[in-house]
Amino acid sequence: MAFWTLYKRELNGYFQSAVAYVVLFGSAIAQGIQFGFIVTAVTSENYKDQSILQIFFTWPLFWLLLLVQVPLITMRVFSEEFKLGTIEMLLTAPVREWDVVLAKFFGALSFFLILWLPIALDLTALQLFSNPAPPVYWSQIGLTALTITLLGGFYVSLGVFTSVLTKNQIIAAVLCFALVFAAFGVSLLRWIQHVDANLLAWVSYVSTPEHLQNAVLGIFDTRPIVFYVTVTAFILMLTKSILEGRRLQG
Amino acid sequence: MIEVENLSKTYSGFRAVQGISFHVKKGEIVGFLGPNGAGKSTTMKVLAGYLPPTDGKIRIAGFDVVTDSIEVRKRIGYMPENVPLYTDMRVNEFLRFRAELKKVTRRKIKDRVEAVKQLCSLKDVENKIIGTLSKGFRQRVGLADALVHDPDLLILDEPTIGLDPNQIRAVRDLIKDLGRKHTILLSTHILSEVELTCARVLVINRGKIEASDTPANLTKLVRGGGSIVLEVKAAGADVVSKIKALPDIEDVEILLPGEGEWTHAKIFAKPGIDVRENVYGVVRQANWPLRELSRVKATLEEAFVELTQD
Repeated sequence: MAFWTLYKRELNGYFQSAVAYVVLFGSAIAQGIQFGFIVTAVTSENYKDQSILQIFFTWPLFWLLLLVQVPLITMRVFSEEFKLGTIEMLLTAPVREWDVVLAKFFGALSFFLILWLPIALDLTALQLFSNPAPPVYWSQIGLTALTITLLGGFYVSLGVFTSVLTKNQIIAAVLCFALVFAAFGVSLLRWIQHVDANLLAWVSYVSTPEHLQNAVLGIFDTRPIVFYVTVTAFILMLTKSILEGRRLQG
Repeated sequence: MIEVENLSKTYSGFRAVQGISFHVKKGEIVGFLGPNGAGKSTTMKVLAGYLPPTDGKIRIAGFDVVTDSIEVRKRIGYMPENVPLYTDMRVNEFLRFRAELKKVTRRKIKDRVEAVKQLCSLKDVENKIIGTLSKGFRQRVGLADALVHDPDLLILDEPTIGLDPNQIRAVRDLIKDLGRKHTILLSTHILSEVELTCARVLVINRGKIEASDTPANLTKLVRGGGSIVLEVKAAGADVVSKIKALPDIEDVEILLPGEGEWTHAKIFAKPGIDVRENVYGVVRQANWPLRELSRVKATLEEAFVELTQD
Protein backbone atom coordinates (compact mmCIF):
# COMPACT_ATOMS: atom_id res chain seq x y z
CA MET A 1 0.00 0.00 0.00
CA ALA A 2 2.44 2.59 -1.23
CA PHE A 3 -0.33 5.21 -1.38
CA TRP A 4 -1.09 4.83 2.31
CA THR A 5 2.59 4.99 3.35
CA LEU A 6 3.13 8.10 1.25
CA TYR A 7 -0.11 9.71 2.47
CA LYS A 8 0.88 9.26 6.12
CA ARG A 9 4.27 10.73 5.38
CA GLU A 10 2.71 13.74 3.61
CA LEU A 11 0.36 14.53 6.47
CA ASN A 12 3.13 14.15 9.04
CA GLY A 13 5.36 16.27 6.87
CA TYR A 14 2.90 19.15 7.14
CA PHE A 15 3.11 19.10 10.89
CA GLN A 16 6.90 19.21 10.72
CA SER A 17 6.90 22.42 8.69
CA ALA A 18 6.72 25.89 10.15
CA VAL A 19 4.62 27.27 7.26
CA ALA A 20 1.81 24.86 8.09
CA TYR A 21 1.60 26.00 11.70
CA VAL A 22 1.62 29.65 10.67
CA VAL A 23 -1.23 29.02 8.21
CA LEU A 24 -3.12 26.97 10.81
CA PHE A 25 -2.71 29.68 13.41
CA GLY A 26 -3.67 32.44 10.98
CA SER A 27 -6.71 30.50 9.78
CA ALA A 28 -7.92 29.78 13.30
CA ILE A 29 -7.62 33.44 14.26
CA ALA A 30 -9.28 34.67 11.06
CA GLN A 31 -12.15 32.22 11.39
CA GLY A 32 -12.59 32.99 15.09
CA ILE A 33 -12.70 36.73 14.52
CA GLN A 34 -15.13 36.47 11.63
CA PHE A 35 -17.32 34.10 13.57
CA GLY A 36 -17.35 36.34 16.62
CA PHE A 37 -18.20 39.36 14.49
CA ILE A 38 -21.05 37.59 12.72
CA VAL A 39 -22.55 36.29 15.94
CA THR A 40 -22.42 39.74 17.54
CA ALA A 41 -23.92 41.44 14.49
CA VAL A 42 -26.71 38.88 14.19
CA THR A 43 -27.70 38.96 17.87
CA SER A 44 -27.57 42.75 18.20
CA GLU A 45 -29.78 43.26 15.15
CA ASN A 46 -31.96 40.29 15.98
CA TYR A 47 -31.42 39.05 12.45
CA LYS A 48 -33.33 35.85 11.82
CA ASP A 49 -33.27 35.37 8.04
CA GLN A 50 -30.12 33.31 7.79
CA SER A 51 -28.22 30.95 10.06
CA ILE A 52 -24.67 31.68 11.16
CA LEU A 53 -23.57 28.81 8.92
CA GLN A 54 -25.16 30.47 5.92
CA ILE A 55 -23.67 33.87 6.62
CA PHE A 56 -20.19 32.56 7.35
CA PHE A 57 -19.81 30.58 4.16
CA THR A 58 -21.12 33.28 1.87
CA TRP A 59 -19.17 36.09 3.48
CA PRO A 60 -16.50 37.54 1.12
CA LEU A 61 -13.75 37.19 3.72
CA PHE A 62 -14.27 33.44 3.71
CA TRP A 63 -13.17 33.35 0.09
CA LEU A 64 -10.22 35.59 0.75
CA LEU A 65 -8.97 33.18 3.40
CA LEU A 66 -9.52 30.16 1.20
CA LEU A 67 -7.76 31.65 -1.82
CA VAL A 68 -4.74 32.54 0.29
CA GLN A 69 -4.54 29.22 2.15
CA VAL A 70 -4.41 26.95 -0.87
CA PRO A 71 -1.19 28.26 -2.50
CA LEU A 72 0.53 28.32 0.88
CA ILE A 73 -0.20 24.71 1.66
CA THR A 74 0.39 23.29 -1.80
CA MET A 75 3.50 25.17 -2.90
CA ARG A 76 5.93 22.79 -1.23
CA VAL A 77 4.23 19.58 -2.35
CA PHE A 78 6.46 18.80 -5.33
CA SER A 79 8.70 21.86 -5.52
CA GLU A 80 10.51 20.97 -2.32
CA GLU A 81 11.18 17.43 -3.49
CA PHE A 82 12.62 18.69 -6.76
CA LYS A 83 14.80 21.22 -4.98
CA LEU A 84 16.16 18.79 -2.40
CA GLY A 85 16.55 15.99 -4.94
CA THR A 86 14.45 13.63 -2.84
CA ILE A 87 12.18 13.03 -5.83
CA GLU A 88 14.91 10.72 -7.09
CA MET A 89 14.75 8.63 -3.91
CA LEU A 90 10.98 8.54 -4.23
CA LEU A 91 10.83 7.49 -7.86
CA THR A 92 13.52 4.81 -7.55
CA ALA A 93 11.46 3.02 -4.94
CA PRO A 94 8.92 0.52 -6.33
CA VAL A 95 6.03 3.03 -6.35
CA ARG A 96 3.94 4.27 -9.25
CA GLU A 97 3.68 7.94 -10.14
CA TRP A 98 -0.04 7.76 -9.48
CA ASP A 99 0.59 6.70 -5.89
CA VAL A 100 2.83 9.72 -5.43
CA VAL A 101 0.41 12.22 -7.01
CA LEU A 102 -2.65 10.91 -5.15
CA ALA A 103 -0.82 10.73 -1.82
CA LYS A 104 0.33 14.32 -2.17
CA PHE A 105 -3.11 15.47 -3.26
CA PHE A 106 -4.96 13.76 -0.44
CA GLY A 107 -2.34 14.84 2.07
CA ALA A 108 -2.81 18.47 1.04
CA LEU A 109 -6.60 18.11 0.98
CA SER A 110 -6.59 16.57 4.45
CA PHE A 111 -4.54 19.45 5.78
CA PHE A 112 -6.85 21.91 4.04
CA LEU A 113 -9.82 20.34 5.83
CA ILE A 114 -7.96 20.53 9.13
CA LEU A 115 -7.56 24.26 8.51
CA TRP A 116 -11.35 24.59 8.49
CA LEU A 117 -11.83 22.71 11.78
CA PRO A 118 -11.89 25.89 13.88
CA ILE A 119 -15.17 27.06 12.35
CA ALA A 120 -16.69 23.62 12.91
CA LEU A 121 -15.64 23.85 16.56
CA ASP A 122 -16.99 27.41 16.80
CA LEU A 123 -20.38 26.38 15.43
CA THR A 124 -20.50 23.37 17.74
CA ALA A 125 -19.72 25.58 20.73
CA LEU A 126 -22.46 27.99 19.68
CA GLN A 127 -24.90 25.11 19.45
CA LEU A 128 -23.91 23.76 22.86
CA PHE A 129 -23.98 27.07 24.71
CA SER A 130 -27.08 28.61 23.15
CA ASN A 131 -30.21 28.67 25.19
CA PRO A 132 -32.60 27.76 23.67
CA ALA A 133 -30.49 25.74 21.23
CA PRO A 134 -31.17 26.67 17.62
CA PRO A 135 -32.48 23.92 15.34
CA VAL A 136 -29.82 21.84 13.64
CA TYR A 137 -30.26 21.32 9.93
CA TRP A 138 -28.06 18.31 9.20
CA SER A 139 -28.70 18.49 5.47
CA GLN A 140 -27.27 22.00 5.37
CA ILE A 141 -24.29 21.08 7.50
CA GLY A 142 -23.64 17.88 5.56
CA LEU A 143 -23.93 19.54 2.16
CA THR A 144 -21.72 22.44 3.24
CA ALA A 145 -19.06 20.03 4.44
CA LEU A 146 -19.30 18.01 1.22
CA THR A 147 -19.09 21.10 -0.99
CA ILE A 148 -16.14 22.53 0.94
CA THR A 149 -14.37 19.18 0.49
CA LEU A 150 -15.10 19.09 -3.24
CA LEU A 151 -14.19 22.67 -4.01
CA GLY A 152 -11.20 22.34 -1.71
CA GLY A 153 -10.18 19.32 -3.77
CA PHE A 154 -10.48 21.33 -6.96
CA TYR A 155 -8.37 24.23 -5.71
CA VAL A 156 -5.83 21.96 -4.03
CA SER A 157 -5.43 19.99 -7.26
CA LEU A 158 -4.57 23.27 -9.00
CA GLY A 159 -1.95 23.86 -6.33
CA VAL A 160 -0.47 20.38 -6.70
CA PHE A 161 -0.37 20.92 -10.46
CA THR A 162 1.53 24.22 -10.22
CA SER A 163 3.90 22.66 -7.70
CA VAL A 164 4.95 19.97 -10.16
CA LEU A 165 5.86 22.60 -12.74
CA THR A 166 8.75 24.17 -10.88
CA LYS A 167 11.32 23.62 -8.15
CA ASN A 168 10.83 27.16 -6.88
CA GLN A 169 8.15 27.22 -4.19
CA ILE A 170 7.42 30.92 -4.64
CA ILE A 171 6.73 30.51 -8.35
CA ALA A 172 4.50 27.55 -7.57
CA ALA A 173 2.59 29.62 -5.00
CA VAL A 174 2.15 32.58 -7.36
CA LEU A 175 1.02 30.37 -10.26
CA CYS A 176 -1.39 28.61 -7.94
CA PHE A 177 -2.82 31.88 -6.73
CA ALA A 178 -3.28 33.03 -10.33
CA LEU A 179 -5.09 29.83 -11.34
CA VAL A 180 -7.20 29.67 -8.21
CA PHE A 181 -8.16 33.31 -8.55
CA ALA A 182 -9.03 32.78 -12.22
CA ALA A 183 -11.24 29.83 -11.31
CA PHE A 184 -12.91 31.86 -8.58
CA GLY A 185 -12.98 35.06 -10.63
CA VAL A 186 -15.32 33.57 -13.23
CA SER A 187 -18.08 33.89 -10.66
CA LEU A 188 -17.53 37.63 -10.47
CA LEU A 189 -19.00 37.99 -13.96
CA ARG A 190 -22.36 37.95 -12.20
CA TRP A 191 -21.63 41.41 -10.87
CA ILE A 192 -20.91 42.89 -14.27
CA GLN A 193 -23.90 44.49 -15.95
CA HIS A 194 -24.89 43.82 -19.54
CA VAL A 195 -23.63 40.29 -19.49
CA ASP A 196 -25.46 37.90 -21.75
CA ALA A 197 -27.91 35.70 -19.86
CA ASN A 198 -26.64 32.54 -21.56
CA LEU A 199 -23.15 33.30 -20.40
CA LEU A 200 -24.44 33.77 -16.86
CA ALA A 201 -26.13 30.38 -17.01
CA TRP A 202 -22.83 28.83 -18.10
CA VAL A 203 -21.00 30.67 -15.33
CA SER A 204 -23.27 29.23 -12.67
CA TYR A 205 -22.10 25.73 -13.64
CA VAL A 206 -18.55 26.58 -12.69
CA SER A 207 -19.03 29.23 -10.05
CA THR A 208 -17.77 27.98 -6.70
CA PRO A 209 -19.42 30.71 -4.60
CA GLU A 210 -22.78 29.83 -6.14
CA HIS A 211 -22.28 26.14 -5.44
CA LEU A 212 -21.55 26.88 -1.83
CA GLN A 213 -24.48 29.27 -1.57
CA ASN A 214 -26.81 26.49 -2.66
CA ALA A 215 -25.22 23.98 -0.34
CA VAL A 216 -25.62 26.14 2.79
CA LEU A 217 -29.30 26.45 1.93
CA GLY A 218 -29.53 22.67 1.82
CA ILE A 219 -30.10 22.45 -1.93
CA PHE A 220 -28.68 19.19 -3.24
CA ASP A 221 -27.45 19.46 -6.81
CA THR A 222 -25.46 16.72 -8.53
CA ARG A 223 -24.08 19.06 -11.18
CA PRO A 224 -21.43 20.69 -8.97
CA ILE A 225 -20.43 17.26 -7.66
CA VAL A 226 -19.86 15.97 -11.19
CA PHE A 227 -18.05 19.18 -12.11
CA TYR A 228 -15.63 19.03 -9.18
CA VAL A 229 -14.89 15.33 -9.43
CA THR A 230 -14.20 15.39 -13.16
CA VAL A 231 -12.18 18.60 -13.17
CA THR A 232 -10.10 17.50 -10.18
CA ALA A 233 -9.45 14.11 -11.77
CA PHE A 234 -8.40 15.81 -15.01
CA ILE A 235 -5.98 18.16 -13.27
CA LEU A 236 -4.45 15.27 -11.32
CA MET A 237 -3.97 13.29 -14.54
CA LEU A 238 -2.25 16.31 -16.02
CA THR A 239 -0.05 16.48 -12.93
CA LYS A 240 0.93 12.84 -13.30
CA SER A 241 1.85 13.41 -16.95
CA ILE A 242 3.98 16.41 -16.10
CA LEU A 243 5.75 14.38 -13.40
CA GLU A 244 6.54 11.66 -15.93
CA GLY A 245 7.63 14.29 -18.42
CA ARG A 246 10.05 15.85 -15.96
CA ARG A 247 11.68 12.48 -15.55
CA LEU A 248 11.98 12.08 -19.28
CA GLN A 249 13.87 15.35 -19.42
CA GLY A 250 16.15 14.17 -16.69
CA MET B 1 22.46 -9.68 -13.14
CA ILE B 2 22.85 -6.57 -15.30
CA GLU B 3 22.81 -6.74 -19.09
CA VAL B 4 23.16 -3.48 -20.94
CA GLU B 5 22.96 -3.45 -24.73
CA ASN B 6 23.60 -0.30 -26.72
CA LEU B 7 22.42 2.12 -24.08
CA SER B 8 22.13 5.73 -25.21
CA LYS B 9 20.85 8.71 -23.31
CA THR B 10 20.41 12.14 -24.83
CA TYR B 11 19.44 15.28 -22.94
CA SER B 12 17.97 17.81 -25.40
CA GLY B 13 20.58 17.18 -28.04
CA PHE B 14 23.46 16.47 -25.70
CA ARG B 15 24.52 12.83 -25.97
CA ALA B 16 25.46 11.93 -22.42
CA VAL B 17 25.78 8.20 -23.10
CA GLN B 18 26.47 6.83 -26.57
CA GLY B 19 25.60 3.23 -27.27
CA ILE B 20 27.40 1.52 -24.40
CA SER B 21 27.16 -2.18 -23.68
CA PHE B 22 28.34 -4.07 -20.63
CA HIS B 23 27.27 -6.75 -18.23
CA VAL B 24 27.66 -7.44 -14.53
CA LYS B 25 27.48 -11.00 -13.28
CA LYS B 26 25.78 -12.01 -10.07
CA GLY B 27 28.08 -11.59 -7.08
CA GLU B 28 30.56 -9.26 -8.81
CA ILE B 29 31.73 -5.95 -7.45
CA VAL B 30 32.23 -3.71 -10.47
CA GLY B 31 33.66 -0.21 -10.39
CA PHE B 32 32.51 2.48 -12.76
CA LEU B 33 35.35 4.89 -13.35
CA GLY B 34 35.36 8.07 -15.36
CA PRO B 35 36.01 11.79 -15.30
CA ASN B 36 33.26 14.24 -14.36
CA GLY B 37 30.62 14.45 -17.04
CA ALA B 38 31.57 11.09 -18.52
CA GLY B 39 28.10 9.63 -18.12
CA LYS B 40 28.48 7.52 -14.97
CA SER B 41 25.62 9.07 -12.98
CA THR B 42 23.37 9.11 -16.04
CA THR B 43 23.99 5.40 -16.65
CA MET B 44 23.26 4.61 -13.02
CA LYS B 45 20.06 6.65 -13.02
CA VAL B 46 18.91 4.72 -16.09
CA LEU B 47 19.73 1.39 -14.43
CA ALA B 48 17.90 2.45 -11.27
CA GLY B 49 14.78 3.21 -13.29
CA TYR B 50 14.78 6.92 -12.61
CA LEU B 51 15.52 8.03 -16.18
CA PRO B 52 14.25 6.23 -19.26
CA PRO B 53 16.92 5.43 -21.85
CA THR B 54 16.80 7.13 -25.23
CA ASP B 55 17.85 3.88 -26.85
CA GLY B 56 19.04 0.42 -25.93
CA LYS B 57 17.97 -2.58 -23.96
CA ILE B 58 18.67 -3.02 -20.29
CA ARG B 59 17.78 -6.06 -18.27
CA ILE B 60 18.31 -6.37 -14.53
CA ALA B 61 17.74 -9.76 -12.89
CA GLY B 62 15.98 -10.74 -16.10
CA PHE B 63 13.49 -7.86 -16.03
CA ASP B 64 13.46 -5.06 -18.58
CA VAL B 65 14.12 -1.70 -16.95
CA VAL B 66 11.50 0.11 -19.03
CA THR B 67 8.62 -2.36 -19.24
CA ASP B 68 9.03 -4.02 -15.82
CA SER B 69 10.24 -0.98 -13.94
CA ILE B 70 8.53 -1.79 -10.64
CA GLU B 71 9.97 -5.34 -10.58
CA VAL B 72 13.43 -3.96 -11.26
CA ARG B 73 13.14 -1.34 -8.53
CA LYS B 74 12.13 -3.99 -6.00
CA ARG B 75 15.44 -5.73 -6.61
CA ILE B 76 17.75 -2.72 -6.56
CA GLY B 77 19.17 -0.72 -3.69
CA TYR B 78 20.10 2.63 -5.19
CA MET B 79 22.10 5.35 -3.52
CA PRO B 80 22.27 8.54 -5.61
CA GLU B 81 25.13 11.03 -5.54
CA ASN B 82 24.81 13.54 -2.70
CA VAL B 83 22.34 11.25 -0.91
CA PRO B 84 19.16 13.35 -0.80
CA LEU B 85 17.23 12.56 2.37
CA TYR B 86 14.18 13.97 4.13
CA THR B 87 15.89 16.23 6.63
CA ASP B 88 12.84 16.57 8.84
CA MET B 89 12.56 12.87 9.67
CA ARG B 90 14.39 10.87 12.31
CA VAL B 91 16.68 8.06 11.22
CA ASN B 92 14.38 5.34 12.59
CA GLU B 93 11.32 6.96 11.08
CA PHE B 94 12.99 7.37 7.71
CA LEU B 95 14.23 3.80 7.50
CA ARG B 96 10.83 2.42 8.49
CA PHE B 97 9.14 4.64 5.89
CA ARG B 98 11.54 3.48 3.17
CA ALA B 99 11.15 -0.18 4.20
CA GLU B 100 7.37 0.17 3.87
CA LEU B 101 7.71 1.84 0.48
CA LYS B 102 9.97 -0.96 -0.72
CA LYS B 103 7.34 -3.51 0.19
CA VAL B 104 9.15 -5.11 3.11
CA THR B 105 6.45 -7.11 4.92
CA ARG B 106 5.21 -5.65 8.21
CA ARG B 107 6.62 -8.42 10.30
CA LYS B 108 10.08 -8.09 8.82
CA ILE B 109 10.34 -4.29 8.94
CA LYS B 110 11.51 -4.07 12.54
CA ASP B 111 14.19 -6.72 12.03
CA ARG B 112 15.44 -5.29 8.75
CA VAL B 113 15.69 -1.75 10.13
CA GLU B 114 17.62 -3.04 13.16
CA ALA B 115 19.88 -5.09 10.91
CA VAL B 116 20.80 -2.21 8.59
CA LYS B 117 21.30 0.16 11.51
CA GLN B 118 23.75 -2.35 12.96
CA LEU B 119 25.48 -2.87 9.60
CA CYS B 120 25.92 0.84 8.96
CA SER B 121 26.75 1.75 12.57
CA LEU B 122 23.72 3.97 13.03
CA LYS B 123 22.62 2.77 16.47
CA ASP B 124 23.97 5.87 18.18
CA VAL B 125 22.04 8.26 15.97
CA GLU B 126 18.86 6.26 15.46
CA ASN B 127 16.64 8.90 17.05
CA LYS B 128 18.35 11.94 15.68
CA ILE B 129 16.78 14.15 13.06
CA ILE B 130 18.52 13.61 9.73
CA GLY B 131 18.99 17.34 9.21
CA THR B 132 21.30 17.45 12.23
CA LEU B 133 23.60 14.65 11.05
CA SER B 134 27.05 15.13 9.56
CA LYS B 135 27.77 14.15 5.96
CA GLY B 136 29.37 10.89 7.00
CA PHE B 137 26.30 9.80 8.91
CA ARG B 138 23.95 10.90 6.15
CA GLN B 139 25.93 8.79 3.72
CA ARG B 140 25.48 5.85 6.05
CA VAL B 141 21.76 6.49 6.30
CA GLY B 142 21.64 6.49 2.51
CA LEU B 143 23.47 3.19 2.44
CA ALA B 144 21.16 1.76 5.11
CA ASP B 145 18.21 2.86 3.00
CA ALA B 146 19.66 1.11 -0.05
CA LEU B 147 20.06 -2.09 1.99
CA VAL B 148 16.85 -2.09 4.01
CA HIS B 149 14.91 -4.36 1.63
CA ASP B 150 17.87 -6.73 1.19
CA PRO B 151 18.18 -6.23 -2.57
CA ASP B 152 20.19 -8.51 -4.82
CA LEU B 153 21.82 -5.57 -6.54
CA LEU B 154 23.32 -2.41 -5.09
CA ILE B 155 23.92 0.61 -7.29
CA LEU B 156 26.02 3.17 -5.46
CA ASP B 157 26.82 6.52 -7.06
CA GLU B 158 29.99 7.91 -5.48
CA PRO B 159 29.40 6.33 -2.07
CA THR B 160 32.45 7.89 -0.43
CA ILE B 161 32.32 11.40 -1.83
CA GLY B 162 33.03 14.04 0.78
CA LEU B 163 33.98 11.57 3.51
CA ASP B 164 37.13 11.78 5.58
CA PRO B 165 39.79 9.00 5.25
CA ASN B 166 38.51 7.09 8.28
CA GLN B 167 34.96 7.10 7.01
CA ILE B 168 36.13 6.14 3.52
CA ARG B 169 37.90 3.15 4.96
CA ALA B 170 34.82 2.15 6.94
CA VAL B 171 32.57 2.36 3.89
CA ARG B 172 35.11 0.51 1.78
CA ASP B 173 35.27 -2.36 4.27
CA LEU B 174 31.50 -2.41 4.43
CA ILE B 175 31.27 -2.61 0.63
CA LYS B 176 33.74 -5.48 0.54
CA ASP B 177 31.70 -7.25 3.16
CA LEU B 178 28.47 -6.66 1.29
CA GLY B 179 30.10 -7.97 -1.89
CA ARG B 180 29.91 -11.45 -0.45
CA LYS B 181 26.13 -11.46 -0.56
CA HIS B 182 25.16 -8.78 -3.03
CA THR B 183 26.10 -7.76 -6.55
CA ILE B 184 27.50 -4.24 -6.46
CA LEU B 185 27.99 -1.59 -9.10
CA LEU B 186 29.65 1.50 -7.74
CA SER B 187 30.99 4.64 -9.33
CA THR B 188 33.86 6.61 -7.92
CA HIS B 189 36.79 8.89 -8.57
CA ILE B 190 38.85 7.36 -5.80
CA LEU B 191 41.07 4.93 -7.64
CA SER B 192 42.63 3.29 -4.62
CA GLU B 193 39.11 2.33 -3.55
CA VAL B 194 38.54 0.64 -6.89
CA GLU B 195 41.78 -1.27 -6.66
CA LEU B 196 40.92 -2.51 -3.20
CA THR B 197 37.29 -3.45 -3.65
CA CYS B 198 36.47 -4.11 -7.30
CA ALA B 199 36.99 -7.30 -9.23
CA ARG B 200 36.40 -5.46 -12.47
CA VAL B 201 36.51 -1.87 -13.66
CA LEU B 202 34.58 -0.14 -16.43
CA VAL B 203 36.26 3.03 -17.59
CA ILE B 204 33.84 5.45 -19.22
CA ASN B 205 34.75 8.67 -20.97
CA ARG B 206 32.50 11.08 -22.88
CA GLY B 207 29.65 8.62 -22.94
CA LYS B 208 31.68 5.69 -24.26
CA ILE B 209 33.31 2.74 -22.51
CA GLU B 210 37.05 2.95 -23.00
CA ALA B 211 38.02 -0.23 -21.16
CA SER B 212 36.54 -3.06 -19.15
CA ASP B 213 38.96 -5.26 -17.23
CA THR B 214 40.43 -6.11 -13.84
CA PRO B 215 42.39 -3.31 -12.15
CA ALA B 216 45.59 -5.34 -12.54
CA ASN B 217 45.13 -5.75 -16.29
CA LEU B 218 44.26 -2.10 -16.71
CA THR B 219 47.51 -1.03 -15.07
CA LYS B 220 49.34 -3.28 -17.52
CA LEU B 221 47.81 -1.24 -20.34
CA VAL B 222 49.82 1.74 -19.16
CA ARG B 223 53.10 1.97 -20.97
CA GLY B 224 54.80 -1.27 -20.16
CA GLY B 225 52.71 -1.73 -17.05
CA GLY B 226 55.23 0.35 -15.19
CA SER B 227 58.88 1.25 -15.55
CA ILE B 228 62.34 0.63 -14.13
CA VAL B 229 64.36 3.41 -12.65
CA LEU B 230 68.12 3.24 -13.16
CA GLU B 231 70.79 5.59 -11.85
CA VAL B 232 74.37 4.97 -13.01
CA LYS B 233 77.58 6.95 -13.45
CA ALA B 234 77.78 6.98 -17.24
CA ALA B 235 77.08 9.11 -20.28
CA GLY B 236 73.39 9.41 -21.10
CA ALA B 237 73.73 8.45 -24.73
CA ASP B 238 75.80 5.40 -23.78
CA VAL B 239 73.16 4.22 -21.30
CA VAL B 240 70.37 4.67 -23.84
CA SER B 241 72.10 2.76 -26.61
CA LYS B 242 73.26 -0.16 -24.44
CA ILE B 243 69.91 -0.62 -22.71
CA LYS B 244 67.93 -0.26 -25.91
CA ALA B 245 70.01 -3.05 -27.37
CA LEU B 246 68.50 -5.45 -24.86
CA PRO B 247 65.51 -7.57 -25.92
CA ASP B 248 62.00 -6.57 -24.77
CA ILE B 249 62.89 -2.91 -24.21
CA GLU B 250 60.36 -0.44 -25.59
CA ASP B 251 61.88 2.88 -24.61
CA VAL B 252 64.55 4.52 -22.45
CA GLU B 253 64.02 8.02 -21.13
CA ILE B 254 66.68 10.17 -19.48
CA LEU B 255 65.26 12.04 -16.52
CA LEU B 256 66.64 15.50 -16.18
CA PRO B 257 68.37 17.10 -14.44
CA GLY B 258 71.16 14.63 -13.95
CA GLU B 259 73.47 15.03 -10.95
CA GLY B 260 76.97 15.66 -12.24
CA GLU B 261 78.11 12.47 -13.95
CA TRP B 262 75.17 10.44 -12.82
CA THR B 263 72.50 9.52 -15.35
CA HIS B 264 68.95 8.98 -14.08
CA ALA B 265 66.97 6.89 -16.59
CA LYS B 266 63.51 5.41 -16.88
CA ILE B 267 63.27 2.15 -18.78
CA PHE B 268 60.00 0.96 -20.35
CA ALA B 269 59.84 -2.73 -21.09
CA LYS B 270 57.19 -4.77 -22.90
CA PRO B 271 54.12 -5.38 -20.68
CA GLY B 272 54.54 -8.14 -18.16
CA ILE B 273 58.27 -8.67 -18.73
CA ASP B 274 60.75 -8.06 -15.93
CA VAL B 275 64.00 -6.85 -17.48
CA ARG B 276 65.80 -5.93 -14.26
CA GLU B 277 68.15 -8.92 -14.44
CA ASN B 278 69.22 -8.08 -17.99
CA VAL B 279 69.66 -4.42 -17.12
CA TYR B 280 71.86 -5.36 -14.18
CA GLY B 281 73.85 -7.59 -16.54
CA VAL B 282 74.52 -4.58 -18.79
CA VAL B 283 75.50 -2.42 -15.82
CA ARG B 284 78.00 -5.06 -14.61
CA GLN B 285 79.47 -5.60 -18.07
CA ALA B 286 79.95 -1.87 -18.66
CA ASN B 287 81.27 -1.47 -15.12
CA TRP B 288 79.06 1.49 -14.35
CA PRO B 289 78.83 2.50 -10.67
CA LEU B 290 75.21 1.81 -9.69
CA ARG B 291 73.16 3.96 -7.32
CA GLU B 292 69.58 2.84 -7.99
CA LEU B 293 67.78 0.00 -9.73
CA SER B 294 64.10 -0.24 -8.82
CA ARG B 295 60.72 -0.99 -10.32
CA VAL B 296 57.95 1.58 -10.37
CA LYS B 297 54.56 -0.06 -10.81
CA ALA B 298 52.02 1.76 -12.88
CA THR B 299 49.06 2.96 -10.89
CA LEU B 300 45.45 2.80 -11.83
CA GLU B 301 45.60 6.58 -11.85
CA GLU B 302 48.06 6.49 -14.74
CA ALA B 303 45.85 3.99 -16.54
CA PHE B 304 42.84 6.22 -15.94
CA VAL B 305 44.62 9.33 -17.18
CA GLU B 306 45.91 7.53 -20.27
CA LEU B 307 42.51 6.10 -21.10
CA THR B 308 40.53 9.27 -20.55
CA GLN B 309 42.77 11.99 -21.84
CA ASP B 310 42.58 12.78 -25.54
